[in-house]
Amino acid sequence: MSKPVTIIMIEDDEGHARLIERNIRRSGVNNDIKPFTNGTDAIRYLFGADGSGSVHKDEALLVLLDLNLPDMSGIDILRRVKENAHLKCAPVVVLTTTDDAQEIKRCYDLGCNVYITKPVNYESFANAIRQLGLFFSVIQVPQAET
Amino acid sequence: MEPNGPPRLIPYRVKGFETELGFWVLNTGRFPQHDELQVTANAARRRELVQVLLLTAGFLVLVAISAASILFVDRARDDSSLVVHTVEVENQIAAVLLELRRAESAGRGYLLTSEPRFLTQHDTALANILGNVRHLRELTLDNPVQTRNSDALQAAVETRLNEFRETIAFAERKDQQGGIAQLRAASAEDTVHRITEISNAMRREEDRLFAARTISADRSQQWASTVTIAGSGLVVALAALSIFLVRRSSRARDDAEAQLRDSNINLEETVATRTTDLREANEEIQRFAYIVSHDLRSPLVNIMGFTSELEELRGDIFKRIASLSHPGTPTALSGDDASVPVLAEQDAKLSEDFNEALGFIKSSIGKMDRLISAILHLTREGRREFQPVPVDLRELIDGIAATVAHQAAEADAQIRVQPLPTIVSDRLALEQIFSNLIDNALKYLRTDVAGDIAVSGRTKLGFAIIEVTDNGRGIDARDHQRIFELFRRAGPQDRPGQGIGLAHVRALVRRLGGTLSVSSELDAGSTFTVTLPVKWALGRQGQTP
Repeated sequence: MSKPVTIIMIEDDEGHARLIERNIRRSGVNNDIKPFTNGTDAIRYLFGADGSGSVHKDEALLVLLDLNLPDMSGIDILRRVKENAHLKCAPVVVLTTTDDAQEIKRCYDLGCNVYITKPVNYESFANAIRQLGLFFSVIQVPQAET
Repeated sequence: MEPNGPPRLIPYRVKGFETELGFWVLNTGRFPQHDELQVTANAARRRELVQVLLLTAGFLVLVAISAASILFVDRARDDSSLVVHTVEVENQIAAVLLELRRAESAGRGYLLTSEPRFLTQHDTALANILGNVRHLRELTLDNPVQTRNSDALQAAVETRLNEFRETIAFAERKDQQGGIAQLRAASAEDTVHRITEISNAMRREEDRLFAARTISADRSQQWASTVTIAGSGLVVALAALSIFLVRRSSRARDDAEAQLRDSNINLEETVATRTTDLREANEEIQRFAYIVSHDLRSPLVNIMGFTSELEELRGDIFKRIASLSHPGTPTALSGDDASVPVLAEQDAKLSEDFNEALGFIKSSIGKMDRLISAILHLTREGRREFQPVPVDLRELIDGIAATVAHQAAEADAQIRVQPLPTIVSDRLALEQIFSNLIDNALKYLRTDVAGDIAVSGRTKLGFAIIEVTDNGRGIDARDHQRIFELFRRAGPQDRPGQGIGLAHVRALVRRLGGTLSVSSELDAGSTFTVTLPVKWALGRQGQTP
């Protein structure tokens, strides 16, 4: 484990991003968090200029993903990440407002590791994110395959 | 001229048209019934009136023809008999003259031969002559000219008869020469001449009468046939008009029937199209509601989140204010709530206002979140596919009663479930419908009497009618429609709720092809009546995916 885990946060709502980051920090997670506010930028970063994803080999990534993005559906990003040879091992946490049962099932079918619904109640929200932070601090994240 | 011709001919023709009219009446009587079905009532009435008028006109024409025919036939008969009479008079004149000749020649024969055979002939002729003359006089009694003539003839004939008698007297005396001389002397020239003149005058008179009467009879015949032909033509025209009208209205009826058939076919197409349109519109609304409520949630998370952050900050800020105003007491800014800082009176007021503002914001956000969740829930329910399965309602409602048994015991209420029918419908929707209704009944019981909730049911005309009756606080008649509207509630607002339950129940019942109604009085309990088809099939109304 040469490099610490980088958290890729794909969240179009900057307010949400700020709240998520704050609560992750409060749980004691100090890893790099790279925020993206739209799908296109996130894809470009994740898969690199050549689209193969090989830019991240030897890196450990964790993706925090919102499903409602302005330019594409988070589900497309999830599918592409899980289909990519280099990125498929990276844990993907879907964090979204949708609590539709079909949507949740679909995400897990596509290989999502954790699905969390953003509660409007802030205490629940903060609680969920802090627990997620605790989860981050204990899970083992593999490096991207070469 | 045949005297009996016209009387037979005319009634026969008239009868023929009666048959024609009979056919026409039959059609006229039948046609308005069809007409009333298809054409507008006004047009039908007008057409019926026209038919009746035509019929009446036809009858009147027929009556007129009959009357005129009888009149003219009578006149023709009179004319004919007069013609016959004339002929008879002429015959009689001829008979008188003939008998005179016979008597004369027989008398002469007797004078010459003295054979009694001639005398017998002479006597017979004489006897006939007087009878004939008398008969002629009787025949001519109607005409004064001819009466005068026949009187003169009678006188002349009697003179002639006297001459005959004298001749016979000579013959009986065997004075043949005297008889011949008498014949020569008298030679009866004068008498014979007179008789010839008189009879000729009578013949001329009768000829004149014959001509006049023949013309009159001809005219009567002509009139009769003219009237008959004109009347028949009129009846034929009326019949033709009637047939034309009947044809026209039957064509109109056929057209209307064809149109009706077409519009029936079109109607089904139209209904199908409209149903599709409605379904699409409904789906659009569902999607819209879903997206809107979903997207509203996102900013709400921020508002709630940063309000909570502000609340955190507030603690720090006021601690800081307290430490600044009381520099003597050292207070750490660690956010440790155990050490509540002592604030100056003014600052305490500020802090309270701050808390109040935050409190309102948070409670409003909470309410908004619940409303949005409710809409999301409803749209999700609206998108769920229903599955018709046989459901024993008694069993289903017993199950609901068991789950709310604890609440019922707390509210001191009993739930009585009476025998209920088994229907084919969506089980989950039925559960939601009846648990909402029973929940409501439990929720709005009166505190002063023991609660009594009854569920009863029956089937009628392919529908199951289920009533949920309670003895609770009841609903004012003004609110009977309002309670079914989304986010609307009635009565004292002392129970938790969003005003969604009944709106949801009504939407479900409608999707299941049924109806929901309430009958209630304030403080006298309520009865909610759910009417559902006994056998609900997918694809009927209410199928909104």
